[in-house]
Amino acid sequence: MADLLAQLEALAAAARGEVAAAADPRSLEDLRVRFLGKKGEIPAVLRGMGALAPAERPRVGEVANRVRDEIEALVDAARGRLEAARLEAELSGAPVDPTLPGRRLLPRGHRHPITRATEEIAAIFGRLGYEVASGPEVELDWYNFEALNMPADHPARDMQDTFYVDAASLQGAPREGAVLLRTHTSPVQIRAMLGRGRPPIRIVCPGRVYRSDYDQTHSPMFHQVEGLCVDEGITFADLKGTLAAFARAFFGPGTRTRFRPSYFPFVEPGAEVDVSCSICGGTGRRDGRRCGTCKETGWLEVLGAGMVHPRVLANGGLDPARVTGFAFGMGVERLAMLRHGIDDLRLYFENDLRFLEQF
Amino acid sequence: MRLSYQWLSEYLDLPPVEEVARRLTAVGLEVEAVARRGEGLAGVVVARIVASERHPAADRLSITRVDAGGEPLQVVCGATNYRVGDLVPLATVGAVLPGGQRIEAARLRGVESAGMLCSARELGLSDEAGGLLLLDPGLAPGASIAAALGLDDAILEVNVTPNRPDALSHLGVARELAALLGVALRPPPAAIAEAGAPAAEALRVRIEAPERCHRYAARVVEGVRVGPSPAWLARRLEACGVRSISNVVDATNLVLLELGHPLHAFDLDRVAGSEIVVRAARPGERLTTLDGKDRALDPDDLLVADRDRGSALAGVMGGGDSEISAGTRRVLVESAWFEPAGVRRTSKRHGLKTEASYRFERGADPGMVGAALDRCAALIAELAGGAVRPGVVEAHPRPHRPAEVRLRWARVEELLGLPVPGDEIRRILGGLGFSAAGADGEGATFAVPSWRQDVAIEEDLVEEVVRTLGYDAIPETLPRPGLDTPAPTPESVTAARVRDALEAAGFAEAINFSFVAPAEDAAVDPGARPVALRNPISAELGVLRSSLLPSLLRNAATNLRRHVTDLRLYELARAFGPSAGSGDAPVLERGEVAGLLLGRRSPPGWAASGEPVDLHDARAAVEAVLEALGVAPVRWEGRAEPWCHPRHAAAVVGEGRIDVGTVAELHPRVAAAFDLPRATFAFRLDLAALGALAHPVARYHPIPRFPAVLRDLAVVVDEPVEVARVVDAIRAEPLVEAATLFDLYRGAPLPAGRKSLALAIRYRSPERTLTDAEVDAGHRRIVARLAADVGAVLRG
Repeated sequence: MADLLAQLEALAAAARGEVAAAADPRSLEDLRVRFLGKKGEIPAVLRGMGALAPAERPRVGEVANRVRDEIEALVDAARGRLEAARLEAELSGAPVDPTLPGRRLLPRGHRHPITRATEEIAAIFGRLGYEVASGPEVELDWYNFEALNMPADHPARDMQDTFYVDAASLQGAPREGAVLLRTHTSPVQIRAMLGRGRPPIRIVCPGRVYRSDYDQTHSPMFHQVEGLCVDEGITFADLKGTLAAFARAFFGPGTRTRFRPSYFPFVEPGAEVDVSCSICGGTGRRDGRRCGTCKETGWLEVLGAGMVHPRVLANGGLDPARVTGFAFGMGVERLAMLRHGIDDLRLYFENDLRFLEQF
Repeated sequence: MRLSYQWLSEYLDLPPVEEVARRLTAVGLEVEAVARRGEGLAGVVVARIVASERHPAADRLSITRVDAGGEPLQVVCGATNYRVGDLVPLATVGAVLPGGQRIEAARLRGVESAGMLCSARELGLSDEAGGLLLLDPGLAPGASIAAALGLDDAILEVNVTPNRPDALSHLGVARELAALLGVALRPPPAAIAEAGAPAAEALRVRIEAPERCHRYAARVVEGVRVGPSPAWLARRLEACGVRSISNVVDATNLVLLELGHPLHAFDLDRVAGSEIVVRAARPGERLTTLDGKDRALDPDDLLVADRDRGSALAGVMGGGDSEISAGTRRVLVESAWFEPAGVRRTSKRHGLKTEASYRFERGADPGMVGAALDRCAALIAELAGGAVRPGVVEAHPRPHRPAEVRLRWARVEELLGLPVPGDEIRRILGGLGFSAAGADGEGATFAVPSWRQDVAIEEDLVEEVVRTLGYDAIPETLPRPGLDTPAPTPESVTAARVRDALEAAGFAEAINFSFVAPAEDAAVDPGARPVALRNPISAELGVLRSSLLPSLLRNAATNLRRHVTDLRLYELARAFGPSAGSGDAPVLERGEVAGLLLGRRSPPGWAASGEPVDLHDARAAVEAVLEALGVAPVRWEGRAEPWCHPRHAAAVVGEGRIDVGTVAELHPRVAAAFDLPRATFAFRLDLAALGALAHPVARYHPIPRFPAVLRDLAVVVDEPVEVARVVDAIRAEPLVEAATLFDLYRGAPLPAGRKSLALAIRYRSPERTLTDAEVDAGHRRIVARLAADVGAVLRG
């Protein structure tokens, strides 16, 4: 028995030294198999227990269990140590190049700045309870001019150089009156009133409009957003409050608005609306120099507006004695220019990717 | 309209020009610019040359002594066009000329010079550089040159809206300012001295078209001498942008700018029969206008004619025959009121826009006809000599009756949201010339002054009130909230999702003009009959596009020329067709989204493969759009539109055989027409079809509770067998949940005309875990069905 006990103690001593010296998980596993595996040295010793007297067996078994537990603990501890060392080595190893660009499989897409501005304008008015309406871009003279209080031979038509459609290129009998490209989004006012029938009406109509004018500051096609609010008891004060709210939402909380009398045949009274310059904050000066955006005035003209002319309400099928309303219109190109600092109108329609991908 | 501040000041006491500009803008007469005429002429004075001698050290220079009001000065000068005693401009030491030149005391070749004698060009007055500017001998030495030349003035550039013809003159704007500022108006003199026999003995006037000419009045001035205008008159006209012609013509233009009423002067000796007839042009009649053009007239044109023929296009332009010339002795001065729409039609028809037509078509002041006539006749007599014969010869078939407009005080608050007391309203309107009659507690009836024919209804009066008060007086409120919250329209939801999907797929949005060149439209669709414009900007922008593709193809070519070679572009807009649209839209407008791909698949980078895009990338973009809208199922069919490569195209067909659109490689001829490479891919989809097929709200399907069994299958089929047929045959097996193509192979050892398809098949039951035996049986049925349906053999 003493022999077996000595062997076990010798194995324990050997294991202590060798496990401590193991340099990697693999040699550690080899040691575990060598000492503890089915064909390992501890089981081999235990197989010699059959020759012992029954009274001696518990004592040897007890030592054998202790030695086996000790070796297992040694191996586990060593494994933990090695794992920690390996992790430590990895975490302090060669870094990746943090400047290496990401792997892009597709380019990022880009929404056109005109669309961005249009969507934002519509969203702001959506929060104020306006719905989006639309109408044809190729219009009848009646909707574009006549119904908006601009009869034939009205000098206000000079304010909008008009593209006309060649009737010969149309199929079927040409309708009464000229066919033209709408010069503004205002005909949608008439269509909305006739289509909805009764107030309250609150709509915004974004869309393409066309005027026969092409130079550095005029494009033959551009975009407007029209707004119309008709109900009982709508006043100019409501128009002021609405556009002031819009200006703050679009240009920023500190934005001020200014209304100046002006003339559009489809409103009475009519106004042009300025907002405080978003570039210089309305001071007219920027970095000690003259602000080129507002030409030092501190104001930017961005909107036309007014109370809907009674004749226009009547042409929309409404009773001007019962309801009142306001309408407004804005040019999207100009708003987007102010927002992004775009300085040339033509960039919008060239569709150079180097322009588009900035948005 | 250009207004002289100096001129306005004759009619009322004015605050500084900046304040005038601010006040005018505030009432709706927007001042777009203020130009100071004498700017840069400070320190330049009138000087008399009292002595001149040659410079001892320079042949080309002289030494002058000049009297500029104070001590005589010595100035060295290079010009030779003067004589001693002449008055010339002297830029004194310290002056900075308009060109930026600073005048300093200098020594020129050893001789002191206390300034510089100037040419017109050096003062920025004209391009005349041929010597000193010689001044009017009556001027006082030492006087400021700006004042001496009438340049100490400011010109206000006013944007007068079409409803305010009354503001197209100095008196008109002065009247507005006087009301605004509460000061007295001093109108120009109305006195006229008459002499000789009555004018009615020298002239008869008849109106044959009273609806077009409500009044025609004329005076006769005899014994005139036509010649140049005095300097003050020429300068006054020039300040307002009108060229000086002769004293008689300038008198009519001065009164136009002064009172706003257009006038015309005829040589009475060339008025046949001493008779004026205002009548419609006769068929075939012609007239040579003052601009030298011989014009064929329309029976809708109104003529001022003599006994024999037309003398002027009424209210637009005079005729050459009766023009004032150097030899004119007897002048007929015309002052009339022509109906606005008729003048406008004639002006448009003949492409003739004049100061007269501009005012008549906006509505001249019927109350000004007589005053303007008297003022002009008196001025001609004053400037050109001669005598005004007694009396006005006139026809006045339609006397002006002032309009009366009722205003209810409550209406002002109803429209403005601002209460204004009735007294205040009456005070404001009275100041603007609207006199109240029949006022009561509720409102009053106002007589509209003759110069404000734009005011016709109650709301017009409200505008008069508010533009005087200023919009700043109105509070800011919001309309009461509606009872409902509007939902986004289906069209805007579809558009936004399509945009989102394409942008996620790497596309940049383009926006193009709706008009294109006819050839570009035809290149994409030779069968289209595009809507054409009658008056396009250019032939290149002559038709409304039948599809968005021509624009995108042109964009691609532009980018390629600029060396931008990797492109994914899309546009979402309307395309146009010649048939009538829905509602009463005159043409068909079809919402479309089109896309274009070109160049490399991935952005260049260290990990990019640099592979070029192909048809399947284009299809992936279309699939992304369909998925984003929940458009399923669709069929892909081998059909091509005219712009497509006939063999490299797929048409998308939705449920109910709805045509959604096409994705394809460009037809080589279309690519060549737009200077694009062959490997250009595009798609176009119909937005209405997408909207009709969309399921924008996703439906939930339960997540499977039982495991799937995956089996791969590789079969060889003939080349024409479409993948969809193989997939459909597999999916006909009830336990198959999905079949995905993961490999497509052609080449050895397969014979030509055969291809190998490898598919991953997922079997699943929603009720239990499948057994191997069930799956094996299903797989065998699939193999058998593929063999029978498409002649597939298992790949060994």
